Amino acid sequence: MANLFELKNVTKKFHGVPALSNVNFDLRSGEVHSLLGENGAGKSTLTKILAGVHEATDGEVLFEGEHCRFSNPAEALRNGIAMVFQETSLVPSLTVAQNIYLGNEKFLNRLRGIYIAAQQFLQSLNFPVDPTMYVSQLGAAQKQMVEIARAVHHNARVIIFDEPTATLTPEEKHHFFALVKRLKQSGVSIVFISHALEEALSISDRITILRDGQHVITDDASAFDRDKIISAMVGRSLSDELYGHAGDTRKARPYGRKVLSAQNLSMGSIVRNNSLSIYEGQITGIFGLIGSGRTETAKIISGVVKRDFFHGGEVRFNDKPVRYRVPRKAVRDGIVYVTEDRKLEGFFETKSIAENIYTGLLGADLNKSMTVSYSEMMTLADEWTKKLNVKAIDSSAKVIELSGGNQQKVVIAKALVQKPKLIIFDEPTRGVDVGAIAELHQVINELADSGMAVVVISSYLPEILNLADRILVSRQGRVVEEFSMEDATEEKIMYAAVH
Amino acid sequence: MIGSLKSRLDQFLGRGQAAVTVPSLDGALKPNNRLDEALAGIKGEAPDNLVLWNGQVLWSEGAQIFSGPEKTLFAQMQSDVTALAAIKDGNLVVALSEGGLQMLDGTGQQVKTLAGSEISCVTALEFIAPEKLVIAIGSTENSINEWARDLLEQRSSGQLLMLDLVSGQSNVIAQNLAYPSGLLQTPFGALIVSEAWTSRIVKIDIGSGEKTPVMEDLPAYPGRICRSKDAGYWICMFAPRSPLIEFVLREPVYRKEMMAEVDPEFWIAPALRSGYSFHEPMQGGALKQMGILKPWAPTRSYGLVIEVDERFVPVRSFHSRAGGKRHGITSALPQNDLLWVTSKGGQETFSINLGTDVIDGGNV
Repeated sequence: MANLFELKNVTKKFHGVPALSNVNFDLRSGEVHSLLGENGAGKSTLTKILAGVHEATDGEVLFEGEHCRFSNPAEALRNGIAMVFQETSLVPSLTVAQNIYLGNEKFLNRLRGIYIAAQQFLQSLNFPVDPTMYVSQLGAAQKQMVEIARAVHHNARVIIFDEPTATLTPEEKHHFFALVKRLKQSGVSIVFISHALEEALSISDRITILRDGQHVITDDASAFDRDKIISAMVGRSLSDELYGHAGDTRKARPYGRKVLSAQNLSMGSIVRNNSLSIYEGQITGIFGLIGSGRTETAKIISGVVKRDFFHGGEVRFNDKPVRYRVPRKAVRDGIVYVTEDRKLEGFFETKSIAENIYTGLLGADLNKSMTVSYSEMMTLADEWTKKLNVKAIDSSAKVIELSGGNQQKVVIAKALVQKPKLIIFDEPTRGVDVGAIAELHQVINELADSGMAVVVISSYLPEILNLADRILVSRQGRVVEEFSMEDATEEKIMYAAVH
Repeated sequence: MIGSLKSRLDQFLGRGQAAVTVPSLDGALKPNNRLDEALAGIKGEAPDNLVLWNGQVLWSEGAQIFSGPEKTLFAQMQSDVTALAAIKDGNLVVALSEGGLQMLDGTGQQVKTLAGSEISCVTALEFIAPEKLVIAIGSTENSINEWARDLLEQRSSGQLLMLDLVSGQSNVIAQNLAYPSGLLQTPFGALIVSEAWTSRIVKIDIGSGEKTPVMEDLPAYPGRICRSKDAGYWICMFAPRSPLIEFVLREPVYRKEMMAEVDPEFWIAPALRSGYSFHEPMQGGALKQMGILKPWAPTRSYGLVIEVDERFVPVRSFHSRAGGKRHGITSALPQNDLLWVTSKGGQETFSINLGTDVIDGGNV
């Protein structure tokens, strides 16, 4: 196969700091090429050079054998290169259909016609999204589907998927991989970035691994296995440490006092008569497919959203009924929710690490001084960046400049400064590299060991199995099954989640 | 005034007291079938209270007291026995349904009348000193057989009395209790009491009578309590709470009419046994299909014994679910590796081998 794209000794520097150093990369026509590496390895930078978001500082970029330099993504798109961004680039105030057709509008547009066409197009991709809904009303997974649909709709010759499956359910992933195969058969080249190594191994023709902005290896996918990829990514084997056989020797933490009891919670058709209990000194894992109501239940508990006005059920925290209208009151009582969508709800991207962590303290009214204290803010930031091993130049670095794993650590630090009694992690390792996953898992385990009640909501079964002391399975808006650590298997959990 | 307005608003919105919610059976209370799986026990007519007396297990059944695996008759009383307590000198105190307390000797013969019919509806007895007996009186308004009426009338007329066996004098330790149905002295001297109608366990100071809740919002009505081997406690839950019953408990006019017009056994109220008549009130889902009642069906009766540690944190639990038979657990008693249990609803006294049960994450 001929090389469609070729990068030769490409270097990209931000403020003099190299994000990529002399990287070589080539993409053949009609292949699926996975780009793997830890967060901060340079995958996103490389793909953004391909898609015209960034320009290379040094080196050559060849497209169909000719030098090219796209000045913006629109130009790249005109040349048939589309990118599905990790952070969605949809317009929230437009509908799904309008977003799909954005940039392809005719002079006169009939909205109904767009909706019908979008409906048919989404159905052909097996994406269950209502084209008339506003994007702001969609969940993270559905936004990702629209993003993918938009890229496919542009008839691109190269599609770059940056973590496309992170928010998808197993069934949706299945549809997505079928779509990738269809695109490949029609001659589209695909660059696939994912932290789910099994996915990369199963759908890729070739795999390239980057580490610290440098090219490590490119080879056929058949030449790799999970351990080989991980050792190439991080320079050591983390497989067992993360999701390996540690669970065989792990012992479930005993039940502590019941901290929270949610009884017959209801919120529209999403949460339906849901009841569960959370105990201190334990990690309660909640597994469920997207739309099973697990995130919404957590948000009701923590005051992010409100339950039904009439007969919405009851939440008892430390044996007292509570009803939070805003998260602030929940935070003051000791309930903290760490969001699944950190970019939208987790931090202020234009603020520094220190400012973000300090806002957590302000939100809980735990600041020592009456006014904002710079010294208190910096002391706090230093303490927590050290505790959670946040890798940044200093605490004044902007959060948006950090890798996904470090951003997540900042979000967790922001939550932990609020001194929670119950902390709910929603997809804590989504979009986080394997090295940082191990660190985050350690943090979560330490919190439970210290006696805190910890809830982990995750769509990734190995993570739930590795972390949780008890596993609740959510389906159709309610908890339908509970497994002890010893009883739980991937098959049993998935069966309960689906049937 | 504000409280009354809030109560009205809660009734309208289905919040607070009117939320009609029941905590879920999860965690250490995750349902299992351990009570039904235990080996066949000793059949009887409504076995009730167990007591360890001179190294052997005694239990009451109606007006009789039995002992041992051969079910040897130990004593025959004039009326139904409602509570038992063993004295260290080898005697036994027996509370009767028609009122009064009797003391029996080692042969089962009556040696003394400790109290007359002024003391009735005794649910539990506990010696806090060789001569000091604490008596839990479930209700001063209703008899012990009318416990469901007491719940539906929302009474809180229970009392704890301390009786001095030497002088015969009694004094009230605590009153206005919502059906105290279990009683035990902690190693620190305070009393642990099951307050059934408020679904909680409270610690009561003997001197001041001050109540401190130690377990609240239980998913069933707590009954008798006994010590476990590991410094904790076994708590018997004699009937389950259910959203339907919680709803009825918030509808005074309906309850009044129901109690006036319907036979007590068919009231929408918790029961020690259920599913024996098609006249019984039934919730959707409790329909038998192909002769089988689903274990998760809504039910008026249930079998549940919970082991809690010294901090009253549940450690493990034994269940007989909706489809099971061993409902209405009124008493439990550990002896060596066995836990003796009376299922008043299932009409059986049986034992569970604790030696083969491993406590691990609350699951057995």
